[in-house]
Amino acid sequence: MKKQINAGELTEILQNWSDNKNPENNNALFNLVYDELRRQAHRFLLKERREHTLQTTALVHEAYLKLVNQKKDSWESRGQFFAIAATMMRRILIDYAKQKHRVKRGGANDDLPLEEALTLTVSNTSFNLIELDEALNRLAEKEEYLAKIVELRFFSGLDVSETAKVLNVSESTIKRDWAMAKAWLHRELTR
Amino acid sequence: MDEKWQKIREIFDAALRRKPEERPNFVVEACGEDKSLLAEVESLLSSLGSADGFLETPVADKVADLIQSKNQRLAFGTVFSHYEIIEQIGEGGMGEVFLAKDTNLNRKVALKLLASHITEDKTRVSRFRQEAFATSALNHPNIVTIYEIGKWQARDFIVTEFIEGMTLREHVRKKKPSVGEALDIALQVASALAAAHGAGIVHRDIKPENIMIREDGLVKVLDFGIAKYRPTQNGQKALIETEAGEIIGTAAYMSPEQARGLEIDPQTDIWSLGVILYEMLAGKLPFQGATKSDRIAAILEREPAPLTKTGGKVSLLLQRIIDRALAKDKRERYADIAELAEDLHLLRETTGDKISSSLILPIRSRRSPRRTYWLAAVSLLVLLSGAFGLWFYLSKTRQMSGSARKSIVVLPLKPINPASRDELYEIGIADSLIQRLGLIKGFVVRPLSSIRKYVDVEQDALAAGREQQVDYVLASNYQIAGGKIRVTSQLLNVESGQVEETYKGEKATTDVFAMQDAIANEIGKLLQSRFALTSGTPATTRGTDNEEAYRLYLQGVYFNDKRLPPDGEKAVEFFEQAVKIDPNYARAWAGVAFAHRSLIDIGADVDYQEQHRISMEAVTKALALDPNLSEAYNALCINKLNYEYDVDGAETACRRAIELDPNSPLAHNTYSRLLFSSQRKRFDEAIAEIKTAIDLDPTAFYHQLVYMFALTMSRRYDEAVPQLERLAQRNPKRALISFWLVSGVAFQGKEAEDFERLTRFEKLAETNDETIKAIETAYQTDGWQGVLREHAEYNAKHDQTFYFTACAYAQAGDKEKALEYLEKTYQHREHWMEYLGVDPRLDNLRDDPRFIELIKRVESK
Repeated sequence: MKKQINAGELTEILQNWSDNKNPENNNALFNLVYDELRRQAHRFLLKERREHTLQTTALVHEAYLKLVNQKKDSWESRGQFFAIAATMMRRILIDYAKQKHRVKRGGANDDLPLEEALTLTVSNTSFNLIELDEALNRLAEKEEYLAKIVELRFFSGLDVSETAKVLNVSESTIKRDWAMAKAWLHRELTR
Repeated sequence: MDEKWQKIREIFDAALRRKPEERPNFVVEACGEDKSLLAEVESLLSSLGSADGFLETPVADKVADLIQSKNQRLAFGTVFSHYEIIEQIGEGGMGEVFLAKDTNLNRKVALKLLASHITEDKTRVSRFRQEAFATSALNHPNIVTIYEIGKWQARDFIVTEFIEGMTLREHVRKKKPSVGEALDIALQVASALAAAHGAGIVHRDIKPENIMIREDGLVKVLDFGIAKYRPTQNGQKALIETEAGEIIGTAAYMSPEQARGLEIDPQTDIWSLGVILYEMLAGKLPFQGATKSDRIAAILEREPAPLTKTGGKVSLLLQRIIDRALAKDKRERYADIAELAEDLHLLRETTGDKISSSLILPIRSRRSPRRTYWLAAVSLLVLLSGAFGLWFYLSKTRQMSGSARKSIVVLPLKPINPASRDELYEIGIADSLIQRLGLIKGFVVRPLSSIRKYVDVEQDALAAGREQQVDYVLASNYQIAGGKIRVTSQLLNVESGQVEETYKGEKATTDVFAMQDAIANEIGKLLQSRFALTSGTPATTRGTDNEEAYRLYLQGVYFNDKRLPPDGEKAVEFFEQAVKIDPNYARAWAGVAFAHRSLIDIGADVDYQEQHRISMEAVTKALALDPNLSEAYNALCINKLNYEYDVDGAETACRRAIELDPNSPLAHNTYSRLLFSSQRKRFDEAIAEIKTAIDLDPTAFYHQLVYMFALTMSRRYDEAVPQLERLAQRNPKRALISFWLVSGVAFQGKEAEDFERLTRFEKLAETNDETIKAIETAYQTDGWQGVLREHAEYNAKHDQTFYFTACAYAQAGDKEKALEYLEKTYQHREHWMEYLGVDPRLDNLRDDPRFIELIKRVESK
């Protein structure tokens, strides 16, 4: 399957999606983007010799380039694409983690302690990826926009200025809102 | 978005626009009356403060790690260094474990390979290596042996002995162990841990997966992977420490402190072993939950179901062991793994099926081999069985040798858990004991001031006993658990090193003073009956009901004893705070009196008249509150002697002080100083008094110094000079002060000797080269007289004590200057005036009418 759409089309589809005018289209697009992202992620993640620093953005870019006719590229469409891709990346990565987790646990009985496979230690904080995902859902209930920032930055690997462009706010606002999201999540995960 | 969230967001956002240091105030202001809003914003700000680096690295590479570790297995036959992979036998967060063949030595080994993606992560690599070093440092049959630590093709690996058997996890899954077997396993793990802890290593991840059981029953502890080096007893430094706050370890076996990310110590392993023991006996985990966070919540909050409720037949003793190992507050847990092991041993003796006892090594207790265990006292089971009467050792040999008084030092109580110390227990109980034992006729008890220094050091009771020149040491430790304090005291015979008596007591800590008195009284009675002695009536000598005031008082005593100006000021401060809190606290008032008096005597830069006035007021207050307070009379005596030059009044006070507390070294010291003054000249008595003070408190520098001074004033130079040398050795910093108290009189006619000693002491006291040079020049030009003049001028220039300057001028032959400075001494109300008539340093002035007149003036005061 090799289907390409141009940026104009994508913008339109994305617009429809956010306006919720055309649900069927949404599904089609979603599947399209999701499949492509997963393929990219899979290839990327399983690559025998990976570069040491992984650029998730590069991965999303690659998916985007695959899907969109580059010549009529516009930031608007790219930004919207990134916003959606971030949600998808989150889902893909969590799925991978869960899948890996299942493999590791085998069918062992329930008294077995959880493996540490899903535990990430960043600086002084250890947290479980699944727990982070759950906390992020709770954050979205409070304010979806903050959860979106986390998706873009943590799951999709965008930097502050890219995130600001995608969400169409100033960089300084992103910095403060990112701080808010981090503070809230950090508290959730360490209490 | 609800309204409250909106508000939180707004204030948080506005706070971030301000400088970090302005934020706290801003937030308080912005939240106004809304306390819950304030709490919320503050907690978010604090969370942000500790969220450095949090979420800053995109997650994808972490996920990649997870996926990759699954796909990077070494296949059968792969040659890795000189090892040939046979099969993968395990996988962990750090990497995989393979069964391999060492092709050089042709033996099976376990090869642990650090996952390749971790190689980039320096912390994890060092953690991996740390495991290796930690484990290889331990040579113990219950700890897996390390063969090699290496790196091959950029991959770190560890090779260990291959243990044929199964993990404890697999073992218990096959068949639930009997109580005896469970105890055997726990004991072997404890034995391994005792060795590790002894080497300063905490395992931190004791779980059934890390415990291997060989077919013959031998247990091996693996995976010191997250072991943490702690400074060992001999002071060796930690190599690498895992950062506090990092939660590593497996949830179900984590101690509460570990789950909280707090500092970890050996107590954490005791907890984990407790969990394992429980799991083996009950067939399930003590703390359960569907998710990791539920489990952690259970660890932090819930008590495990009693073992009896889990089906098995379980003795109370076993439940007790579990309870103590699984105490949430680590201070309530076993003091160390050896103590847990001893209880397990004890219990195993009473359990029928001993299956592999030969595999259990005795665990070397770090304490006295005759240590008795509190557990035994509560264990009816054991006592009734009768077999352990011997074990519960309590020496009742009643032998009184001769009629000589027994000297005893009461050491500060040693905390079983050094992390939570409380002076009220350590010094407070010792203070009560000193007071109580002091009442026993036939006992000489070292004063509180002499035992302070044993607080901060690793107590060697017998060494302390030797230093204090006593017959006996009363060494105790304490443990706080569940609102109770458990005290264990041992009476050690210093000469034989034997424990002659053991006391164990448990008291509620609700009323600290009642507790202290009760313990002191029980121990007092025990020792009284041990030596068949009688005692006076216990009096309430503490004199306050306020814990804080008492605490402050103890601090005051501590600083007072140092007898140096900055400490003297601290002493004043503490005593004054104590009386502020409890104005009816007589002992603290006596402390105020003494501390202010001392400020003058130790040469602090203070207004003498003012200090004297405050001191006397405090004496009056103390005596009004307690007319029988020896310390107050002592302070009164010093004031009368040193400031008022009222020798008769001083003598009355001094005698009263000694009468009220014949064991007070300070009272004897003061009386000695009075006895060798110009108006008494009772030198033999004076020397006897100061010797009594020294007998009561042999280590105090102050008594030794006064002894030397007394010998000098008595002109017993042959004894004074060796005493000077002793003092200089003992306290080089004060060598010069000591020297000038005797200077030039003790060695009359032996100038060269004088000079040699002075330069030696100058070096001892680490004086600057300039001063030494000045002395040398003076000696070369004008001999010893020159040195004395140089010293006098130095003193005069540096505003030293006038009396010392006067003495130096007098010795140098400058009568005019000497008299000028003596007059200043008098005007300034320095103490020393009472020695004008006896001080050999002033002999050059004896026939000068002005000097005679001055003595008269002083004596007519």
